[in-house]
Amino acid sequence: MTSQQYPTRRNPKFLIAGVVVVSVIVIASIAIITAPRPKFIVYTYDSFMVWGDDPDTIDERAFGAFEKQFGVDVEIVRLNLDANGIVARLKAESANPVADVVIGIDNILILQEGVKDVLEPYTPENISFVNSDLINALDPEHYIVPFDYGLVTVIYSTELINTTTHPELAELTFTDLATPDLASSFVTENPQFSSPGLAFLLTQIAVYEKLMGEDWKQWWQSVKEYIDVQPGWSEAWAKWDSDPTISMMVSYGTDPAYSAWASGTAPTTAIAPIHHSGTTYAWVQVEGIGLVKNGPNPDLAKAFIDYCLSDTVQELIPLNQWMFPASSHATLPAVYDYAIHPNEVSLLNNILTRTEIEQNLTAWLDDWAAIMTG
Amino acid sequence: MKILRGRDPFSLTSLFPVAILIIFVVLPVSYVIIIGIMDDPVGAFITTLSSPVTQRTIIFTVLQALASTLLAVILGLPGAFLLTRLEFRGKSLVRALILVPFVLPPIVVVVGFLRMFGRGGIIDSFLMLLAGSGQSVIDLSSGIFGIVLAHTFYNIPLIILLVSASLIRLNPEVEESAEILGVSNWQKFRHIIFPHIRRSLFAASILVFLFCFMSFPIVLALGQSRLMTIEVQIFHAFRELDYAGASTLALMQLLVTLSLAYIYIKAGSSDNEYMGSTSEIKTLSFQKMPMRYKVTSIVYSLLIIVLVTGPFIAIIESSIYDPYVGEFTLRGFANLLSTGIGGGLLPLMNSLMYSTLATLLTLFLAIPLAYSHRSKTYGVSSTLSSLTLLPLGISSITLAYGLMIAITVPLGLTTYPWPIIVIAQTIIGLPFAVRAIEVSLQNIDPEILDQATVLGASRFQRLFFVELPLVAPGMLVGAVFAFAMAIGEMSATLFIALPQNITLSIAIYQYLGVRKFVEAGASAFVIAMVCFFAFLILERYSDVTAGGSP
Repeated sequence: MTSQQYPTRRNPKFLIAGVVVVSVIVIASIAIITAPRPKFIVYTYDSFMVWGDDPDTIDERAFGAFEKQFGVDVEIVRLNLDANGIVARLKAESANPVADVVIGIDNILILQEGVKDVLEPYTPENISFVNSDLINALDPEHYIVPFDYGLVTVIYSTELINTTTHPELAELTFTDLATPDLASSFVTENPQFSSPGLAFLLTQIAVYEKLMGEDWKQWWQSVKEYIDVQPGWSEAWAKWDSDPTISMMVSYGTDPAYSAWASGTAPTTAIAPIHHSGTTYAWVQVEGIGLVKNGPNPDLAKAFIDYCLSDTVQELIPLNQWMFPASSHATLPAVYDYAIHPNEVSLLNNILTRTEIEQNLTAWLDDWAAIMTG
Repeated sequence: MKILRGRDPFSLTSLFPVAILIIFVVLPVSYVIIIGIMDDPVGAFITTLSSPVTQRTIIFTVLQALASTLLAVILGLPGAFLLTRLEFRGKSLVRALILVPFVLPPIVVVVGFLRMFGRGGIIDSFLMLLAGSGQSVIDLSSGIFGIVLAHTFYNIPLIILLVSASLIRLNPEVEESAEILGVSNWQKFRHIIFPHIRRSLFAASILVFLFCFMSFPIVLALGQSRLMTIEVQIFHAFRELDYAGASTLALMQLLVTLSLAYIYIKAGSSDNEYMGSTSEIKTLSFQKMPMRYKVTSIVYSLLIIVLVTGPFIAIIESSIYDPYVGEFTLRGFANLLSTGIGGGLLPLMNSLMYSTLATLLTLFLAIPLAYSHRSKTYGVSSTLSSLTLLPLGISSITLAYGLMIAITVPLGLTTYPWPIIVIAQTIIGLPFAVRAIEVSLQNIDPEILDQATVLGASRFQRLFFVELPLVAPGMLVGAVFAFAMAIGEMSATLFIALPQNITLSIAIYQYLGVRKFVEAGASAFVIAMVCFFAFLILERYSDVTAGGSP
């Protein structure tokens, strides 16, 4: 037996004490580094204004003037959630709210039971900048007021298909979309989880129930074997972008403008809005900004909402958010010539009313889920 | 079996983890469920349970979990044998590589999986080339088949690791004696090997089943809204502020998982006569294998390589290849060093920090829990076991919501939530760590501990120099799982985190959302590599301490 086989053992107490000391120091330093500083907090979704050429400085460019004027630190908290998730979070925090303003609740979400419970109505002083149709489409009670808006429509990749290979794209109908050929190259989003997906479902329901007078469920029955339904917009986009068999997708009417801006050439994305009897239809999504109920700084919050309707913020929306600014004072960049404009289509929002949606939304979503899981 | 002298089986040390579990799991979740159900006590149950969607969801949830577990066991078991018994160069590398799938965040698995098995994926392109057809030939990624395959891919490592941790402790003398007595291989398996690995195999299968039963992002992405697990439906209900529905579903889910835990504990307690052994590993070199074993193991290895490394290769490709522009780039890796909005440095640091803290905390809680599971006091062991398994049976969305309204908001931690994130990540990895440590504890020969006492070791010395080194392989396995679960955890972190607290898993999700595929791919690659090297180092270390001379 040599001493090598029985090495001297150190007292484990020192090792334990060392580990404890190191852990305490590490934890304490993380705690200090990440310690919260008092701030004016705005909740929004994860992709808010990050689509421009310099997303790192967008908050400074958009809200720097407000910070100077009121001497506060504005923190745009892009929660890693979509608007539904943000409302769920506001609800969870309702006993002790930390946010003052919320941006991103849209004209369908506001109809959902319980959403208004986390908000406080407020009418901005400069509300006249916003077209009253938009205000009424979003929320006549002003729990939220419009921040931006956009059309939800079918887009396609011109590298894969075009109006020569598929003439029906020029005047696309739901009947065209239901043919196995088009349906199997079409991706949409789950209306239960995604706002463009829900807008598309409402588009389809409005066209079938209101324009054609037929049962909307038939269409989904006929396409469910072919159509690709992804949980959210990003998953759908990834599929549309990477899978050569998927050439069409439910997305936004500004996508060709984005395509042109990103590539610096003519867009490779085109729009095929839904037609019915010679008229073009689309659903408009209006995203709102609102006051959080019982938030810590209500006066500052009201001033902030007013500020968000000013040109400083509104003119940054087109190239950073890829939506139309709510304020009619804001000018649009040239690349928006490629986008489809709301005045080029008939809005389905006028056909399918807020009351109808409020009453039927849950039932429609349940029916949809039953068809798709059936 | 001798009871260790001088040890109170339900000692004060296990009270701390129990208190943590009660405060951070039992209370918040009961709070959410009770509040939700009080919202509409009778109506919620009737509406939820009578819905054909819910009924289909329940049936599908159980069936896919059963199928996935079965497939993972069938494919994982030979792997556990090969990895324990076969001696070959680069074994620790292979062992670490096989673990990689388990640590990938589900969203990354989905991307890798689609690129490998989906329409237009690597396998499909290969078959299209063979068939000389321009049409897509095969799509292995959608529907129930895709979900089961993805779950299998995800869980094979769990089976391999847990079973081989037990197999490594099988005394070779027993097998040699059997061989001398001329038993067949099947008899050897049936009477010697199987009884030895039975507990760990059963434990691993239960874990896999629970994992698939609770599955969320994979089903969400591959199920294409046609197929939902209960967890997906809970998520949906919370988003619609339907707390009554969410609570009903969470309660149902909990009843199923707790019944499973009960069966599992019952089955385990009938095995009290079990005598563990501490011994050397019996190994075999490839050359010495009989021919037909050689062929089967090569075929098997090829299958596993395609299934397990395929999606991983797809991830490597996506970390340097931008499909949007169609060019190779290192932008994704540069982004990981950037500190701006959407930069990867903060999430990377957060991920490493939280996961390391969560791993330490997990071990700290898991060791006393694993010890107290051996308690002979009536009811203590089974109560603790179910308490430990509880996090596995609770939907992480319900847990996150509970932590939010019962802990974070009342304590004013809303703008400062990282301690809660670490706790959530700890809770989620705890059952895995406790199991791994428990298994290796059971396999310690009590004689050795008694010898240490006889030789004059104090309790403290015996614990640190004899017991813990023997448990070290189990602790390392536990630590690896805790780390993996923490770094991959998404749904709870997503709900609790503010932007300054985001982890790499969440960042990947965001990158995919804003079309930054290379950034997402590079982040996924880094997570995989961090875990891979952590395992590699742990493997080396555990070989030294566990395989030491008898």
